[in-house]
Amino acid sequence: MSGRPSTAFVLRVLVERDLRTLVRSPFILINRTIFFLIQLFVFAFLVSKLASSLGFNYFDFYSVGAVVSTITSIAFIIGEDLFEEEELGLLDYLLSLPFGHSLFVIGRALGGAVRGLIYVTPMMVLVAYVDGYFSPVGIAGSLLVIFILATGISGLSITLAMLIRNANRFDILIALAELATVRVSAAIYPLVYIPKALQPVAAYSPVTSASDLVRAIFLPGYTAGIYETVVLVLFVAVFFGLGSAFLFRKIEGGRFE
Amino acid sequence: MIEFKDVWKSFKNVDAVKSVNCKIGDKEIFGLLGPNGAGKTTLIMTMATVYRPTKGEVLVDGHSATTDPDSVKSLIGISFQDPKYDRILSAREILEWHGKVTGVEKSVRDKRIDEVLAKFGLTTEAKKRTWTLSGGTKKKIENAKVFVQRPRIAVFDEPTAYLDVPSRLMVWDMIDELREEGSTVVLATNMMDEADRMSDRIGIMNRGEMVQVGDPSRLKGSLKGRDVIEMQLDSPIPELPAEVSKTDEVREAVYEGDTLKIVLSNGRVLLPYLINVVTAKGGKIQSVNLKEPSLEDVFLYFTGMRLS
Repeated sequence: MSGRPSTAFVLRVLVERDLRTLVRSPFILINRTIFFLIQLFVFAFLVSKLASSLGFNYFDFYSVGAVVSTITSIAFIIGEDLFEEEELGLLDYLLSLPFGHSLFVIGRALGGAVRGLIYVTPMMVLVAYVDGYFSPVGIAGSLLVIFILATGISGLSITLAMLIRNANRFDILIALAELATVRVSAAIYPLVYIPKALQPVAAYSPVTSASDLVRAIFLPGYTAGIYETVVLVLFVAVFFGLGSAFLFRKIEGGRFE
Repeated sequence: MIEFKDVWKSFKNVDAVKSVNCKIGDKEIFGLLGPNGAGKTTLIMTMATVYRPTKGEVLVDGHSATTDPDSVKSLIGISFQDPKYDRILSAREILEWHGKVTGVEKSVRDKRIDEVLAKFGLTTEAKKRTWTLSGGTKKKIENAKVFVQRPRIAVFDEPTAYLDVPSRLMVWDMIDELREEGSTVVLATNMMDEADRMSDRIGIMNRGEMVQVGDPSRLKGSLKGRDVIEMQLDSPIPELPAEVSKTDEVREAVYEGDTLKIVLSNGRVLLPYLINVVTAKGGKIQSVNLKEPSLEDVFLYFTGMRLS
């Protein structure tokens, strides 16, 4: 007879499921890696030359932002997965398993984050190398920062997946959300170059916080600390809560046999 | 024991389950019989805590599905009507993950997976991605999840849909084995023969309501004094059902292809009269059969409709 598994065990098997599906679909990984390499060594290299007159090294700035924006867009995939699972009815199966709905949301968000981390760890190591940063502890710290960001983005993505009932609307919204979180942030351009009206939004963006924290680790002359960490943690907490709440709403108001 | 106490489940303005009261005993095979849309799956999902009852309560071994859902879920394993698993994964991966998440220890799990795959003849296909497999094979894998889990309460929703006859018999035997090992089985089906052969008791559901509960022989006995006349005609005459229904003793008259099926009391006495009615309307009778009520007739009697 079956038993009642512990919280840690449930989280581990939920993450394991996301990793099993990742292993079975390596083409997304290859696709994103090629895109990242082109962005870094073609786009960033050229723009850095153009921006050299501004007096700062855009290549270094962008290299960190490219990793942060890549993990952000990968973390959004979990919502698409969940939306598809709901459409296929797979969600009913997952929710009938012996763990609570909130734990399910946390497990899926962690699964999305771990999956994202596996994607971008080689990229982060490459960026550290090209930026001339070689401390393993610092690199581990930078991975922790983007893992926290990815967990929150996964929570946001799950919330959107549970909030929207129409597939087309969901596709549009998730694309806009991804665009907004990456573009309205200091991931790929400094805050001062963002239009004034959007600067306050970008300043509070978790993507900005994560980018600033990693830059503070890798690059001399950049600082970040408590404020950025608080923004990240709050972001994760808010979207775990909202994800759980909307998951419940979707199930209860959703389908009819 | 599973206990449904005045259970309602509504989605917006639709009552999918209405005032279901029912008890399912330990080690019982309980058949839920009803057409698509009767509320069987919604009732199962409410018991499995996926849906919260709008009103009423479901108790599973004394645990409330509403206030103690985790305890309830740890007792239940469900084989869904449509296979629900990651189709990018192989059968073995699906069963491994399901066994693991439902708390089956690795040594036991591996052995059970091998056994179940072998029984279903899936050993050679166990490593293929399941999206490449046939509908019947996918259904076997869905059932296999529960046979690997061996839960305290096993729920099967249309377990033999898409399966050929030998596989169907195999699933029935495996469900029997589960019960012999101590599981309670809830079997939702719209197949009369399956409900009749497998169930200790049957609950007939229609339009969200549990209209009748009883063991198959008792349900058939509830139509005691009622007979079924089947008249095979050359070609159906549309007005005949209404015509024969004018007789007080006739409960139901419908066509099944070219056969006019009449549920009535005193069939033996009324048979000559009904033959006259049919022939007077121009019906050419090929054969006549007078028989005892089947489970299908019971279903027709209590719901006013037929499953097929």
